[in-house]
Amino acid sequence: MREKLDTPSGRPYVLLAAIVVIFCLVDWGHDRFVNRATLFSVLQQFATIGPVALGLGLTMIAREFDLSVGSMMSLAGCVAVMLGVEHPLLGIAAAVLVGAVSGVTQGTVMVALRLSSVGVTLGGLLTVGGIAYVLTQNTTIGYSRMDIAMLVNEPVLGIFSLRNGVAIVLYLMAAFFFFATRIGRDVTAVGSDPRAAMVAGVDVGRMIVGIFALSGVLAALAGALLSYSLAAASPVALVDALVPATAAAIIGGVSLAGGRGTPVGIAGGVLVLCVLRSGLTAIGVPPYVHDIVTGGVLLAVALLDAPELQRRLFALRRVSDLHGPVRVVREP
Amino acid sequence: MSVGALTDSIGLRLPQSRRKRVLLTIRFAALLALIAAAIATPGFLTTTSLFSLLTTMSFIGCVAVGMTFITLSGNVMSFCLGATLSVTTIVFMLSLPVGLAGALIVAFLFSAALTGAQGWVIGYFRANPIIVSMAVLALIYGFVTLFTGGRGIYPEGSETDVLKGRIGFVPIPLAAFLATVVIGQFILSLTRFGRNLYMVGSNHRAAVAAGIVTWRTVTGAYVVAGLFTAFSAVLMASRYASGDMEHGIGYDYHAISAVLVGGTAIQGGEGSALRTLAGTVIISVIQGLLLLWGFSTSMQYLIVGVIVLGVIMLHTLGDSR
Repeated sequence: MREKLDTPSGRPYVLLAAIVVIFCLVDWGHDRFVNRATLFSVLQQFATIGPVALGLGLTMIAREFDLSVGSMMSLAGCVAVMLGVEHPLLGIAAAVLVGAVSGVTQGTVMVALRLSSVGVTLGGLLTVGGIAYVLTQNTTIGYSRMDIAMLVNEPVLGIFSLRNGVAIVLYLMAAFFFFATRIGRDVTAVGSDPRAAMVAGVDVGRMIVGIFALSGVLAALAGALLSYSLAAASPVALVDALVPATAAAIIGGVSLAGGRGTPVGIAGGVLVLCVLRSGLTAIGVPPYVHDIVTGGVLLAVALLDAPELQRRLFALRRVSDLHGPVRVVREP
Repeated sequence: MSVGALTDSIGLRLPQSRRKRVLLTIRFAALLALIAAAIATPGFLTTTSLFSLLTTMSFIGCVAVGMTFITLSGNVMSFCLGATLSVTTIVFMLSLPVGLAGALIVAFLFSAALTGAQGWVIGYFRANPIIVSMAVLALIYGFVTLFTGGRGIYPEGSETDVLKGRIGFVPIPLAAFLATVVIGQFILSLTRFGRNLYMVGSNHRAAVAAGIVTWRTVTGAYVVAGLFTAFSAVLMASRYASGDMEHGIGYDYHAISAVLVGGTAIQGGEGSALRTLAGTVIISVIQGLLLLWGFSTSMQYLIVGVIVLGVIMLHTLGDSR
């Protein structure tokens, strides 16, 4: 049991359990935290951040980074809302196609020109954001189909909805492909050591293009569904998704150095963030506390993951040893 | 799809020297086209138009020169320079009661400490710079809302009006921008810190082996970035007579665009403050032209985005590999 919990995928769930216990203790006797509404709100937020974090997390497992997901989400929302008035499914399909095209393009550029993903996706972030601005003429566009907006958020069985159902199914599929096929091992291999992976027969280039396509598609899907549920899309509103998605992925055990992390772990990371946010709101803490907590957690994980941390702490200990009381070395 | 075949088909397997020449030709052609367009556009080359263009670009320019130091140190970019700018306008406005000089000192120290702390974490523990800057972004927004309740600061009085004037015929923001470029370029080319910065940015291991205390260099780069961002912050606060989290929105992206368009390498170790000056001028000339040709601000975002993407792709042409 102990070994199971100590894996990168297990750790976020230990954290999750700890957070739930703390919230229960803080909220003892008030019944604000442990109820159906909080659970529903957790899952609704899971639907917003979850798919983006999954795509971003997979690129991070392959030791790349997809900065463009933030503006991809808003562009997809705008595309879906503009094209989806007659046929909502057509809107979603168009948004997903845009996500796929953007991901494949960026992935191909990276592989063909051997560029760093941060550089290419930074250009992608600005370009995709620019397209969203041009499409909407820098305004918020409304979505006239209120029935669809109600439908995607309609609670099913108390806690589920169409929107969070999609996110949950995406995670189940990702977990299946990651553990049951060779895809998971290949992605992890590419992230740990691209050269070794290539020698072992992984088509690294195709893998990278595929992962970025997937990341684009997942961000687009989340953005389209979110815009449907808000009945509006704007080129700016969703850019902020990048920070929570990154936070969720690295809380979920994805290493910044690549080659570590699983969809199950990422799901745990997303849940940690969602429970924090919903829980804080439920017990009546002002929303800025959530920013502080997210920032603090991100900073802590960045520090814990830092390659020099061990060495620096060791050096500090040695210095304090040297200046501390002189040790008597006993002769044998 | 074979990567090699694709690279060949685009014609990138040229010898190193040819590739450098091709790159240079493309750059010059683009620059000439831009100059021709500027001359051919009526109303662009007037004094009022140019001065308003130069003043607007100065605010971004100061941040961009600061960002250049972060990019050069091998840490790509900071996502929170915009937020740093905003929070510094608030700190500046709040500390005005101690007098203008005092408030200026407080603003510069605050901004430098805020980015310097990040630089220390990134340099000393080698924490991921992108994650650290995102964390600080969230922390800044959280703490500022905690202290101000999300409202801007609008102080009474007119001490800051001095900063809205001109030195001779040069608007103060432009003078400040040029000052950051000169100081920045001086630090980069004529000091030991500058040489170390190039070394750390281009090859961290080699820098360590050469005996450079890399965390000091990285922290220094972030401190410089904070100081230059503070230039922009105090001028912006004076211009709008307020301190507000709205002031710096998008400045991190504008700044990194200017840095990259200027030709500073995204992987660090190559670039200069003068290149960032060029990048800032190029982007603002393009934006000014687009405005005169009747394009919307939205279209300007898109075109700048495409240019940045193109520049990042072009840059590999000159790389040896």
